[in-house]
Amino acid sequence: MTPTATEASGIRIQQLRKSYGSLEVLSGLDLSLAPGHIYGLVGPNGAGKTTLMSTICNHTFPSGGTILVDGENPAENAAVLERMCFIHEDQPYNDAFSVGSILHVMPTFYPDWDDALAQGLVARFQLPLERGPRKLSRGQKSAFAIVISLASRAPYTFLDEPYLGLDPTAREIFYEELLADYGAHPRTIVMSTHLIDEAADLMEEVIVLHEGEIVLQADVDDARSSAYIARGLADEVRAFVAGRDVIAERSLGRILSATIRGHVTADDEEKAAASRISIEPVSLQDLIAALGIHTLTSALTTENR
Amino acid sequence: MAFSDDRPIFLELADAIAADVLAGLYPEESQVPSTTELATHYRINPATAGKALNRLVDAGIVYKKRGLGMFVAAGAPEALRRERRSELHTHYIAPLLTEARRLGLTTADVVGMITKDQA
Repeated sequence: MTPTATEASGIRIQQLRKSYGSLEVLSGLDLSLAPGHIYGLVGPNGAGKTTLMSTICNHTFPSGGTILVDGENPAENAAVLERMCFIHEDQPYNDAFSVGSILHVMPTFYPDWDDALAQGLVARFQLPLERGPRKLSRGQKSAFAIVISLASRAPYTFLDEPYLGLDPTAREIFYEELLADYGAHPRTIVMSTHLIDEAADLMEEVIVLHEGEIVLQADVDDARSSAYIARGLADEVRAFVAGRDVIAERSLGRILSATIRGHVTADDEEKAAASRISIEPVSLQDLIAALGIHTLTSALTTENR
Repeated sequence: MAFSDDRPIFLELADAIAADVLAGLYPEESQVPSTTELATHYRINPATAGKALNRLVDAGIVYKKRGLGMFVAAGAPEALRRERRSELHTHYIAPLLTEARRLGLTTADVVGMITKDQA
């Protein structure tokens, strides 16, 4: 652990609201982020992921509620803001400057900036230092954002869909560099992503945002084991799922797959085997898609907490 | 190694390291990779890699040398061999007989196939 990570007390958000005109994006959201963890922030487009990160980092003001970063309000608080790094997906840069000169001034904004790491990442992503940021391709823009985010070594680093336009090789480089540097310098990393199954293994906890509310925050393994699929003949599956919390159903001819929220017991396995139903694990991506479609009455959020 | 969705990754990783110990890839008293090395290599969260190593520590397969890292315990390969022998029935023989019954084969049919294989 770096000294900063152990001194940090994390981020606490209570009843956070954010509206743009009459559009309410965040509607009374509560969230706690512990220091030194990698969080995956997922949810459909328009769920409020970018707004949430922008509001925490004070890139925009909240309409209501409180945000505390290491116990302090980040609003126009330079001492807190330099501990946070958030490069937007469409980050505006001053085009009078080249990629190289922008990197050159970064230590001014981030006291923990590591120039050797930045140079190493620039080389691995083959970023053209002399070019203006507007002339970068989509993938290069993403790579540039990754360079700044990782080299900032900010105790709270926010990555907004960091892999946009990156080819599979560049994504592998990103995952490898992120884990290697995080291993050496643990810090809080919040990464929004749509590539859930690809990025799931990187995350310690997953946070699912849906229509401005958190519908699930859980350890990735716990989330995966919080639901299962029962697959078999439709009539037999229907009998099996009676009284259970079914969050999604898909049928193929006479066969029905039901995604059920809950843990599989030995009794369930016996019952399933007796009626030719197979019990299958659910991928994180499938679970989140099912949660998104399902109308949520009681959030899983409070479970185990 | 590619992880499946079937079981938590830390369990799969712990089993994979145990299999390497059993196969002699990590001999007794040799060092096993660190949390960060495992995390970077498999592209997984370091906490997950740590859970896998802790599981192996709890099972007595590896032990921690303070400030140096994790090492394979003396006698670990033999202990793993004993454990895997006792699990041979649950993991291989019982599913084999279940499948055989589904196909209309008796235990004697299966035994016949095994002895024919050995001849």
